[in-house]
Parts: sequence; C-alpha cells; structure tokens
Amino acid sequence: MSKSTILSGTDLSKKYGDLEVVKGVSLAVSEGEFVCLVGKSGCGKTTLLSLLSGLEKPTRGKVTLDGREITNSSEDELALFRRDNVGFIFQSFNLIPTLSAWENVALPLFPIKMTSEERRRRATELLGKMELGHRIEHLPLALSGGEKQRVAIARALVNNPKIIFADEPTGNLDSSTGEAIMGILNKLHKEEGVAILMVTHEDELAKTANRLIRMKDGEIMS
Amino acid sequence: MNLRYMTKELYYQKRRTLMSILGLSIGIALLIILNSLSLAYRQAARVPLQEIGADITVQRSGDVPKELAGPVFPCSAVTIRKEEVEKIRKLPGVRGVGTGLLLWVFDPNRAWIVLGIEKENSIGPSVLRSSVTEGRFFEDGKPEALVEQAYARQFGIRLNDTISVADKKFPVVGFVDASRAAKIAVANVYLPLKEAEDLAASSKELQSVSPYAPGDVNLLFIKADQEKITGLASEMKGILGDKATVATPDSFLKLLGSLFALSDKFTVAASLIAIIVAVLIAFKTMAGNIAERAREIGVLKAVGWTNRNVVSQLMSESVIQCFMAGILGLLIALVASFGLSFMKVNIPIPWEMSPTPHFLPGGGDQIFKTLRLPVHIPWNLAFFAILLSVIIGGMTGGLLGRHISKIKPSEVLRHE
Repeated sequence: MSKSTILSGTDLSKKYGDLEVVKGVSLAVSEGEFVCLVGKSGCGKTTLLSLLSGLEKPTRGKVTLDGREITNSSEDELALFRRDNVGFIFQSFNLIPTLSAWENVALPLFPIKMTSEERRRRATELLGKMELGHRIEHLPLALSGGEKQRVAIARALVNNPKIIFADEPTGNLDSSTGEAIMGILNKLHKEEGVAILMVTHEDELAKTANRLIRMKDGEIMS
Repeated sequence: MNLRYMTKELYYQKRRTLMSILGLSIGIALLIILNSLSLAYRQAARVPLQEIGADITVQRSGDVPKELAGPVFPCSAVTIRKEEVEKIRKLPGVRGVGTGLLLWVFDPNRAWIVLGIEKENSIGPSVLRSSVTEGRFFEDGKPEALVEQAYARQFGIRLNDTISVADKKFPVVGFVDASRAAKIAVANVYLPLKEAEDLAASSKELQSVSPYAPGDVNLLFIKADQEKITGLASEMKGILGDKATVATPDSFLKLLGSLFALSDKFTVAASLIAIIVAVLIAFKTMAGNIAERAREIGVLKAVGWTNRNVVSQLMSESVIQCFMAGILGLLIALVASFGLSFMKVNIPIPWEMSPTPHFLPGGGDQIFKTLRLPVHIPWNLAFFAILLSVIIGGMTGGLLGRHISKIKPSEVLRHE
C-alpha cells in the first residue's frame, strides 16, 4: 500500500536581495519516510529545510504540510501548526540553559493548558526512551553533547509530530556519539513511523536514510 | 506565561536579574526619598504653629510709643479690633480662633514680657496649661500669674510670691516650662487675658499709638481647613490691611530655604527625573538581557510558541523583576529615611513673632525652633512606588517582548 505525502514543496525559491539561495526546488516526503538532504556547506539545504518546515517563507512556490498549504499562513498560525505537527532537532541542540532536561523536553507544551504533572510525565517518559531517565533534573550544562542531543530529540517528539526536521543533528558530536544519535533517529523512523527530513553534509550518515537528495547551488541534483 | 520557566530564568540568570533589580531599585528609592524629604520639610514647617494648636497666626505691626514706660505693645503686634476678630472668625474654612495679648511692661526696675492668655482654648497659648511644671494653672476670675520657669530661677521668684506688674499685684500660682514648646507666644509672665486687657486699656502710652479697648487683642491663633490655609491668609490680610503679618506653614517653609522646601515644583521635577532614570535603567538593562536571549526566543518560536506566548512570558519576567526592584527600592528608602530622621532642622522664627524686644540684650538674635526632621514614608507613597515599578515592568517587558518576538527563528537558529 503506497503511503500518502506528508510534506511537499513545489517550485520553491528563496532570494536574499539579489542572491537566490534556493532555486525552484520541488520535493515530497511520504509518511514515515526518512529522507536525507545532502550537499556541501552553503548549497542552500538549511534554507530549504526552513522553507519546508514553515520557519521561513519562500519568495516563490508553495509548501503543503499534512495536507495544509502553509505558505500564506501568518506567523502565529505557523507557530501553532509547528507545535501540533512538527518536531525540530538542531545541530547546536538549542536547549534552554536555565531549564532542566525534562523542562526542556516539555518546552513546546508550556503554552498548552495542561497540568505540570502531565507535562512532566510525558517528558519523563520520552527521556526514559532516550535512556536519560536518571538525568531528568539536570541542567543542559551538566549534560554531555550526546545527552543534550537526546534531550533535543525527546523535545522534538513531545508533541507526537508527523514529521521531524533535523538540521545536521550530529554536526557537533564525535563520530561514536553521532552514530548513536543516528541509531535513535533510525529507530524512531522504523518503530514510531515518524517521517524525518534530515540535512547533513556527511554522505556516510545519509546512507541509513530511505532516500537521499543531493543539493548543489540551491538546486536538487538527484 | 509559564511560572516555572519564569522563576528558573530569574533564579539561574542571577547576574541579569540582580542588575535589573538593582538598577531600577535605585531610581525607585530616589523617588521615595525625595518625596519623603519634601514631606518631612513640610511637616517640620508646621511644627512651630502646631505646638500652639494653630495653623495660622495673625499679627499687625504698628508704632512703639516714644517713651517706653508701663505696658506697651511690641511694634510687631498692635491692636486687632474685636470686630476684625469676628470677621476672621466667620471666614469659611476657619475652624477655631485663639487669642492672646502680648505686652512689654516697662516697670521702673524691670522689663517684663507679659502674655495674656485665655483660660480654656485648645488653640493658642492656653495650650501652655500642659507645660505647668509646678503649682497650678489659672482659676476662674482670679488675678494671678504664671511665671516662666527659667525666668523665675534667674530672678529668684518663688511659688506664692507676689509680683508687681505695672503697679498691679499678682500672686504667682505656677511655673511654666515653655522651653520645649513653640518659640512663638512665649513670655516671662502669663496673666489671664482679662488682666492683660485691663493693663493695656489703662496704659496711656499704649493708647497714644494704638487705641485699644477691652475685647481687642494683638495675637490671633487660627485653626483652619488645611486646603484653605493659603486662601485664608490672603483674606485675613484683606481684613487687617497691609501691616498684617500672617504666618502659615508655607511661610515657615520659605524661611527654611532648603531645596526641598523651596517649592513643590522642585520635588515634582526631581521625582520626574528619578522616574525617567528608573525607566531608562530598567529599559536598558532589560533590552540587553532580552537581546542576549534572541536565540532562546528563536527556539521558543520554532517549537510552537506564538508571539503572544513570547510577549506574555517576557512581560511576566519583567513585571516580577520590577516588582522586586520596587520592594528593594522601598527597603533602601526605609533605611535612608531612618538615617535622615536623625538630621536636625532649625526653623527660623520671624522676628515679628519673637516676643523679646529687639533692643534688649539678645532680643535681636535670630531664634530657631530645632527639631529632628520627621522623615517617614507614607503608605500611599510606598504603594505608588511599587505600583509604578510594576507599570514600568509591564511596559518595558511588553515593548521589548513585542520587538524581540518579531525575530525569525530561522535567522537566529542557523548553526555556526
């Protein structure tokens, strides 16, 4: 049975002044698919990821996420849409330094009306899955790079997203920790059926994905 | 607004939090101290009059007889006629009137400062009833005298002695210690008002320059509605003419000459400057703090916080910090006002109100009422300062929050 498309970008372009960073790109990601966007630094892959995730608006083209066209949505509509449907993993983790591991995981739930116990239960459960059950009260400063990224993955999962956008998730980690993180992402994709669109410049990491898309100078090569 | 996030942010970012709180608290403390000092000077200026139970004193200046013999009026206090007193009594805002008759009595071997006082009145020199240190106060209808304690000691006057003032005998029934009371309306000898009236009425020298009839007086002490004091002072001048001397708390305040006593405008201007400084400090510190958190705000927006979520979070942090700054400012002001309350202030008594003839030894010296500056922080000023802090916090947090919430997450989250 063919899976339906969770994310599609059609004829996407992004210009900063005269500089066109993304040039007429079209791509689609199916439900539960693990897609890697590969290319050299500066080829426009992070910008494309921002356009597809609704963090940035394209100069031209349209993005449809879970059947809804988000290109013309307002900033707040996009924020709410991301909160309900999308997870993010960043290269530099982007954890809030003053919040403990479980509070960082629960960060997307803070504006939602629910009890603190409920948030904590959900966050603790996810940290347990990331084998960080013993670190829930630790501040990011007390965590290793790999642990920080696992907290970030748990945060990306806290809202049960349909798709996770990962921007160089192993870029700040040593190779063995990076492999472990990739293992977790693969497991998520296989066991939880979450679609993943990952940006990386390392071909070796991309091999584990279902599909590999190469970018060069703002265009998709293959 | 998430309370847990807010408290953790304030707790773990101690340097930021302390800087914001300290900066604003200094401005708030300055505002409270300035206004408390201004109030203290105003209260101090009321004391000389308050001590004789009045808000206003009225005299009229005139001439002194060529020959100083027997009872005469001081040149600063000549006759105020009974009808004029009645007119003043009926002015709207006048709550009560006390009267006195101040005489200089030049006997062949002694000069007395004599004050005729009413037996019963909470306004004016009859309040000296509470300053009797030995003996008793006047009894009805008896020609008797009270003598100032220091004067009695100096001239060997004892209780139950009989003194002769302008050839009239008065038994000394008590001693009065007015040294701690007001420096106005004090004398060597105090007589019942009627006795002083008789002395004045029978003095040819006095009558020659200032016609006097029993029932007239030369000192008026007036209790009035606080908000009407200034208006009443001009009305009284209208009734008594150009030579009237009307003393109010404001006239004492002017004599103090302090910057705070000079005018309300100075206090208002200084308070405004303090508020502006407080706002600028709060704004600058918090703008720096929020700019440092641009990346964090980007994360919040990326994971689904709306602009409103971000603004309310930052605003609540700012309000709490400013509230704490208000409390700290109030504490600083309380400590400062405690220290300032040990400060002594000398309130000059105008020469017209000094009972001593200026031509006698020491009579020309400036006299002062010395008291500790009554610095305290009224609850409404404290409440206003805290409320102002919270408003500053709300406005600062709201403005800066709205500005920072417009950042695009993609711009601040791009990896290095």
